Amino acid sequence: MQDAAEKLEQWTRFYRHAQTLLRSGRRALRRLSGTELAHLIDEYQALTADLARARSLGAARETVDQLNRIAVVGHNLLYGQIRLRDSTAPSYGAGNFARLVRKHVWAVALSATVFFGAALASFVAVQFYPSLGYDLLADEFIDFDPANRDNLHSIPSLARPVVSSLIISNNIQVTLLAFGLGLTAGIGTTVLLLFNGIHLGSVAGWMMLHGKDRALWGWIMPHGGTELLAICLAGAAGYVLAGAIVAPGQVRRSTALKNIGGDALGIELGCMVMLVIAGLIEGFVSPSGIDYPSRIAVLAASLGLWALYFLGAGHKPARAAALDQPANSEGFRNPDQHSR
Amino acid sequence: MEERVHIATPDHVSLEFELAGPGSRFSAYVIDFVFNVLLIIAIVLTAYLTGALVTLRSLAGISAGASAPWLWALVVLIIFLINWGYYVFFEGVGKGSTPGKKRMGIRVIRQDGLPIGLREAALRNLVRAADMLPPPSYILGGLVMHFDPQGRRLGDMVAGTYVVVEKFDLAAQGASGAAWARRVEQGRSRQALTLPRGAISAQQLGLIEQFLARSHELSKERRRQLIWQITEPLLPLLEEDRDSLARSVERTERCERLLLQILDLAQQKTVSVAITPKAPPPSALF
Repeated sequence: MQDAAEKLEQWTRFYRHAQTLLRSGRRALRRLSGTELAHLIDEYQALTADLARARSLGAARETVDQLNRIAVVGHNLLYGQIRLRDSTAPSYGAGNFARLVRKHVWAVALSATVFFGAALASFVAVQFYPSLGYDLLADEFIDFDPANRDNLHSIPSLARPVVSSLIISNNIQVTLLAFGLGLTAGIGTTVLLLFNGIHLGSVAGWMMLHGKDRALWGWIMPHGGTELLAICLAGAAGYVLAGAIVAPGQVRRSTALKNIGGDALGIELGCMVMLVIAGLIEGFVSPSGIDYPSRIAVLAASLGLWALYFLGAGHKPARAAALDQPANSEGFRNPDQHSR
Repeated sequence: MEERVHIATPDHVSLEFELAGPGSRFSAYVIDFVFNVLLIIAIVLTAYLTGALVTLRSLAGISAGASAPWLWALVVLIIFLINWGYYVFFEGVGKGSTPGKKRMGIRVIRQDGLPIGLREAALRNLVRAADMLPPPSYILGGLVMHFDPQGRRLGDMVAGTYVVVEKFDLAAQGASGAAWARRVEQGRSRQALTLPRGAISAQQLGLIEQFLARSHELSKERRRQLIWQITEPLLPLLEEDRDSLARSVERTERCERLLLQILDLAQQKTVSVAITPKAPPPSALF
């Protein structure tokens, strides 16, 4: 029985020790000396050996459970601090978004087709059947006159910060929905893109019909390029997820989703940044009094910059895979190389 | 949906986790929802009070009143961040546990058994809209959970996560487990006991040992019931007459003697499993 007490003490000591190290942050293991670390690993191996024997030789359920839980703490401590995924995958930094968009260009094409296709179709439809405008347009747009300086400047400069943040959060919400609803095999994403496309196209068509199109474009252009591009890309993020459900390939759908999830998230996060930029322009530049040519210039400049970014960025990793770098003499990589 | 999930580690140990059921996950969701609403109410109230203060100060001519719109712009953004970021933040920073999950004793883990980080938290929560379909019913997510062997909703699949039960105390049963492990190390493991008329498995022997160790904690009636349940199937193996024992006045005592006898037999018949008779030092185990 003396032996048993010693064994229990050994388990308990390892559990407490591992718990303490786990709680003291990501660098806890690195602060240990070589002997301390070797001892910790010895203790972990002794424990996992006990666990394996407990399972295969029929120990009591509680014993197996208890050893299992201690082993989980040890495993999380010893493997959790060295993130294999982080160190093996190259990092592209800010160019990652551009790389992902290029990688999934089929999804971008599909999303743009649905979105702009719906916009174009409703634009043309309103030209030929003006009465459709009453069905498609939201009430506040029927009599909306973008040329009216009161309308154009109807956002008092004091309220602009509030309007700007409302616009940003509303737009980001739309992209989050387009992204998440990709999990409905793309149906939700498509519906969302269609609705937004029809809304855009019918308003544009209606204004065209009533000769207010120049003023409308003037209002939309400064922020529109960035905003519409972001919506398209968010739809693409949704279609990337949908792709894993519709055509998972040789793996289970859940595995395909897991493999592609990071890419879709990367695109979605990029869209959010784009929308923050677009929202700031919409809240501050678009309602301001700058003239028509300057508005075209803002649109051209923003589209040009995005084209440069999406074509040029992210071709080479900003940081090479850490496994390619020489490990130092202790066999541990320099902690600095682990920081993201 | 199964009850447990096994995860193989790089050193070939299989770690076992108990999956959280829909009940505890829903309860955690309700708690988080209430907490979320309270948080938003608190922020709006704070903003009102601050706004009133700013107005008062500007009326008194202490400062200009231009800061109020910025205050409300901030409030709009903060509320949006709370709505979408509550789970991302708490699960990402709190190792897979939100306040509600902590309360229900569950947490989110990665499929390799490690705690989740911000990336997994963002993935599984930003696609929540799909699980909520048709909003806010969670019917789609619930159906997917029901049919998935690991009880994952869509967000769990995208992020590669499981929701597991997190309950643990270094239990009182530790002592008997440790005694068991020591015996195994010293080569006196419990093996199946082969008798002329059949075998008693190692699990059955374990059950008997555990029962005898804890039977004093049971009430007299419960003990009488349980010991009969355990002993009765073994009687043919021991060549005992079931009917006479069943009618016996001191049935419980006789059963106990039989069980002890079985354990004695098992002790004598054990086969050595460890290579060395003495326990090796921990480092030599592998």
